[in-house]
Amino acid sequence: MKSLVSLFAALGLVSAVASPALAADGRQLFLDNCAACHQPTGKGVAGAFPALAGSKVVLGDPKEPITRILNGRGGMPAFQNDLSDTEVSAILTYIRSAWGNKAAPVAVPQVLAFRSNTRRENAKASLQAH
Amino acid sequence: MTQKFFGGGRGFSRRMFLEGLSSVGGSALLMAGMSALGFDIASAATAPPDLSGGGGKKVVVLGAGLAGLTAAYELTRAGYQVTVLEARSFAGGRCQTARKGFQLNELGGETQNCDFDDGLYINHGPWRIPYHHRSTLHYTKEFNVPLEVFVNDNDASYVMFEKGSGPLAGKPVRKGQIAADVRGGAAEMLAKTLKQGALDQQMSADDRDTLIAYLVHEGYLTNDLAYRGTEGRGFAVNPGAGVNPGPGKESEPFAFSDVLHSGAWKTLASVTGHEQQRTMFQPVGGMDRLAKGFEGAVSHLIRYSTKVKSFRQNDKGVVVTYEDEDGQTGKVKADYCICTIPLSVLRQMDVEVSKPFKQAIGEVAYALVGKIGLQMKRRFWEEDHHIYGGHIYTDNPEIGSMNLPSTGWQSKKGVILGYYQFGAQAAKVSALSPKERQALAGRAGDKVFEGYSSNIETSFSAAWHRIEHNLGGWAQWSDEGRQSAYPILCEPDGRLYLAGEHLSYLTGWQAGAIESAWQQIAKLHARVHAA
Repeated sequence: MKSLVSLFAALGLVSAVASPALAADGRQLFLDNCAACHQPTGKGVAGAFPALAGSKVVLGDPKEPITRILNGRGGMPAFQNDLSDTEVSAILTYIRSAWGNKAAPVAVPQVLAFRSNTRRENAKASLQAH
Repeated sequence: MTQKFFGGGRGFSRRMFLEGLSSVGGSALLMAGMSALGFDIASAATAPPDLSGGGGKKVVVLGAGLAGLTAAYELTRAGYQVTVLEARSFAGGRCQTARKGFQLNELGGETQNCDFDDGLYINHGPWRIPYHHRSTLHYTKEFNVPLEVFVNDNDASYVMFEKGSGPLAGKPVRKGQIAADVRGGAAEMLAKTLKQGALDQQMSADDRDTLIAYLVHEGYLTNDLAYRGTEGRGFAVNPGAGVNPGPGKESEPFAFSDVLHSGAWKTLASVTGHEQQRTMFQPVGGMDRLAKGFEGAVSHLIRYSTKVKSFRQNDKGVVVTYEDEDGQTGKVKADYCICTIPLSVLRQMDVEVSKPFKQAIGEVAYALVGKIGLQMKRRFWEEDHHIYGGHIYTDNPEIGSMNLPSTGWQSKKGVILGYYQFGAQAAKVSALSPKERQALAGRAGDKVFEGYSSNIETSFSAAWHRIEHNLGGWAQWSDEGRQSAYPILCEPDGRLYLAGEHLSYLTGWQAGAIESAWQQIAKLHARVHAA
């Protein structure tokens, strides 16, 4: 996987929005970006934030969790401008293997594939101040 | 050069010209240009609906935020029997103010007890009232809530952009200096281009000369169409008495190229938006004064600390079940229901509505928003930097902007808004403990003001997406959602009417909540009246 990452980086295919951390620490990235709502335990908060531990969405076809992270959904923000493909893959690989979850890692090219298909401008939404 | 300004091509329209101005000078220049060419911006006039000749029916209102309070107040005056169920122990919804004793427990977070000194506060929810939000101003007047000016634009305040290049990047620069120099530089370039006849094909000689005259005026140009600075950007030595300092010494403008590459001009457009223009107001003593005003009139209708559990309806009426403070369940029966619960919360509740309505409730996203108030032991921004209110603009999305208080001038202490961030950045910052959030805000402030972090005595922060009963700052409709779900939710589902900022094009503003309530109670009243 690492060689793939290097290859994509060399080809300039890895997203330029954040520096591609080749040895991205999935757990730390999860704690920094996701745990405020989904909680460090992955259990979420009932009635507010969905649990990731045992979640069908997390464990299923990677397309769904990838697009949710990139584009946001409901109360979840879009991370497409804040996380690189490498970072998204590291986070997903982590949450698909933590807290008793067991699902295959998510590789960078998988993230890249959906990013190119789903990129949307959401500048207005993030700049609204009141 | 002209190609770069106007987007290329041979054709040159008025719109392209305006866009060219906008891309170089920010919309301050654009607005000036629009006025010169006869455009204008209008604002809507609003007042509560006339509800005469009806009443008597029972209405249960869910939520005592501004939409619920507005509905309760106006319906009661019209003779309806109103009951309001409110989950919190106080009214106002997001219209909150944190001062000494205010407590906040974010979901998954530790409890914060605000311990600002007496008289100090932060509006961690809504904090500004634009002059054209006549609905909000209707109620500040109705309830005698004193207002003061909120300084929403201050030429003396700093722009601190780190992502640009050149000598101005990463340095706090006075906003007025950036504004003057970018206007001057852009006007000079355009005026000289016009003078050389580059656009003579596109405009008459008379238009050209008038436009040059405007640019001389707009950009403070000298007779040879050069920008050499203007006293409005401030003096190197201020004028004073006698011969020394006497007339003082004018300041030197920054090099146009340095201003352009700093990126700091990107901030200039922000305060020219319709929602950001002067005059901006705030209630004296905190935004929650507005909620307290309503509460004075309708608190006897409100059942506090009462959480809605379910909503049922049929063709005869509605039934809302609730759980009170002691865990006791109960029911309220009414003819109609006005539900102001944010859709982020409502989507997860047990409500009996049609399938399309239910689906529409789930379609909107909610904004992740974070704010922090920092109590400073000394008003160093006033004492050392002569900045009285206004925003410190950054291009660090983790911080967004900082804001200096528009109250307590020249007093000892003050509360600064240390950050105001959105989306993924707000998610990230909200993962930090209150102490870590304070430290993050302090590090950012130290880049602008020497000794900033060492002046922080205490702080209070809020991450709205983690606050129970809100789960987000405000509704964020996508264009698709506005087309599909929004119109469905604006109409009643049976006997249920939704209201709130989420059902307006003023999302996130109190005026949106009030005007949405006005619209819905007018519909309800028309139905009752027709029956």
